[in-house]
Amino acid sequence: MRNATNFPGRWSRLADFPSFGEAVRIEWRAGRIADPVKRLRYLRRRMLQTKRRGFHGWGLIAVPLMIAVAAARLPSGSAETMERERGLAVPRAAGAAPSMPPQVWLIEKTEAEEVYSNGLRVDRTFLTANRPRARFPVYSLAGSPVPWRYGGAPVGIVYHTTESLVPPFEEDQNRRLQRLGRNLLEVVRSERAYHFVIDRFGRVYAVVAETDAANHAGNSIWADGEEIYVNLNDSFLGVALEAQTGAAEAVTPAQIQAAKVLTEALRFRYRIPAENCVTHAQVSVNPLNMKVGAHTDWAGDFPFAKLGLPDNYSIPLPSIYAFGFEADPAYERALGMNFGGVALARAQIERQAAAQNTPAAQYRAMLRHRYRDIEAELKQNEGGN
Amino acid sequence: MSKHSDAIGLDVGTSRIVVARKPGEDYEFASQLNAFVCIPRSRITENVLEREKIPHTAVAGGIVVHGNESEKFAGILNAEIRRPMSGGVLDPREPDGLRMIREMISLMIGARSGERQKLCFTVPAAPLGAQESLTYHEATLKQILGELGYQAASINEGLAVIYSELESSNYTGIGISLGGGLCNVCLAYLSVPVMSFSVAKAGDFIDQSAAQMTGERANRIRLTKEDSFHFNGFFADKIHQVIGVYYDDMIRSLVAALKEAFARARDLPKFHRPLPVVLSGGTALPPGFRDRFEKILLEEGFPADISEIRMAQNPLHATAKGALVYALSDL
Repeated sequence: MRNATNFPGRWSRLADFPSFGEAVRIEWRAGRIADPVKRLRYLRRRMLQTKRRGFHGWGLIAVPLMIAVAAARLPSGSAETMERERGLAVPRAAGAAPSMPPQVWLIEKTEAEEVYSNGLRVDRTFLTANRPRARFPVYSLAGSPVPWRYGGAPVGIVYHTTESLVPPFEEDQNRRLQRLGRNLLEVVRSERAYHFVIDRFGRVYAVVAETDAANHAGNSIWADGEEIYVNLNDSFLGVALEAQTGAAEAVTPAQIQAAKVLTEALRFRYRIPAENCVTHAQVSVNPLNMKVGAHTDWAGDFPFAKLGLPDNYSIPLPSIYAFGFEADPAYERALGMNFGGVALARAQIERQAAAQNTPAAQYRAMLRHRYRDIEAELKQNEGGN
Repeated sequence: MSKHSDAIGLDVGTSRIVVARKPGEDYEFASQLNAFVCIPRSRITENVLEREKIPHTAVAGGIVVHGNESEKFAGILNAEIRRPMSGGVLDPREPDGLRMIREMISLMIGARSGERQKLCFTVPAAPLGAQESLTYHEATLKQILGELGYQAASINEGLAVIYSELESSNYTGIGISLGGGLCNVCLAYLSVPVMSFSVAKAGDFIDQSAAQMTGERANRIRLTKEDSFHFNGFFADKIHQVIGVYYDDMIRSLVAALKEAFARARDLPKFHRPLPVVLSGGTALPPGFRDRFEKILLEEGFPADISEIRMAQNPLHATAKGALVYALSDL
């Protein structure tokens, strides 16, 4: 008798197999994958991860993360039970939001403009190309620093502010507003900075083609379900509202309406989940000092509800609970980073460490080690390309 | 063209070679008998074979007809067909075996159509309790496929059955491929093969044993078995009776091996629910086979809880389909 081929190593020890709880979660997750090939791919990867865990200390990380994330998607009764038993925070956004936006379709398309069924009009006169979107690695929250799959289409939206000069939104400022807006678009185009810009009059400009990556997110992290994305230029679309953090005036009602219909159209086209529509401040990280919030645009006051989205500020920051980044309290106060995701992620990492009887600092160090592995791998791939 | 269309599943069985592809949403299969027959060479014969597009190869002193047509020619010429494989692996006693299997595989799958085209082929497991090496068989097939330009990987036959049929149990359960040379068994847990083994009594054993008892040629026994044999019936003729006896013997040997394998196994994972069993392969085709297998399994007493015993959706294609599913999942 021998072990069949195709699985590295031997599955000869009981310890190679997942525990009952893990197996239940793996099965539950697999059961949600309708395609038999994708289901098999998922199971093989998860089982290999289970077998390999223990290498580099990932075992200590994997279980609580799986529990935390799986709990978020379980039926409410089970999730609540698990939450109580494990003392884990469950990443979920506050406020209900429709799972998917209504159908939005293209009505008319010319060289200069696209018009959509929900009222969205996209000006294409500044449209330019950048490098084509690369297949981006998607990592498992369960622990492995090796990508468990690669993605091709956008999976989310990052909202930015342009941080450009914004004069008062008044009639007598009309010429200035127009001139600044046009200058801004020229700069954004030359920098290939965002896919879309919404000017102060609520006009939506397509700048970088959706098929291409825009240079909008830099070092950044987000996660959904059991999947985590690192450096989001390829995986997320960048939408910038002409605005300045700390300016007397926030965005205009026209900008909000434009952002709403643009979000609907993009979410419908790419099947983007609501929890993947987040702000730059939520995703931005500084790997040099391992702090979150390297960029602080939309650190607070982003009008999620007005865009038809749940309050995604309440989602724990994956950069903290998955990779051990920290948010400096003084920095938070100074910049007004008051969204609940920071506190929730902090609490979550404490619980994860406690559940493993591991000092929080040690646990965080392991998470950081994982991030460094991924970062090195990404840099190596960039070099290879 | 999507990547789905590129991958190939290849079941190289003692009796048949089956190719699975998925050019679109549906799986497509092609199969050929893994056999050949040598016929005398003549200009007329060659012309007929060419005209009818019958796969053949000219060799010194004759013509070799291979694949499905070999059976017909063997019948016409009253000759025994020859087979490149025996007992689930390449037959070392067949001098033309390697050349023929290369020829047949090449005709069936062609040269690769793209860079790093993935192909997964089936290999048997070692017989229960034996340390028999299957390295030569596996390496030779891999070499043939590599020469055709494929990125080839192997998969255990029983595991391929599981990947084909046990999606509903998240690829946990027992897959049994009852072929010509061997019965291959695999137990998998959440897609991971936990144990696998083969039993040397399979379709050929029935054919050869019945041939000895009746004085018929094994090929005729096989045709009778495939065309008109069924379980739970009474047969007046000796051939059917003898086939029934040896089928029972084969099933009992398989069940005994299953019991022994479970008894020997150490550190099996805890299965949280009863295991499904799927039967596939040409030897499992006769009507009533599943019931017979279940009856004997219950009689003998199996050490694990069984949720169901069922036939594969398409017993002749399940192994190739599983190999393809594996290849696709690896892309």
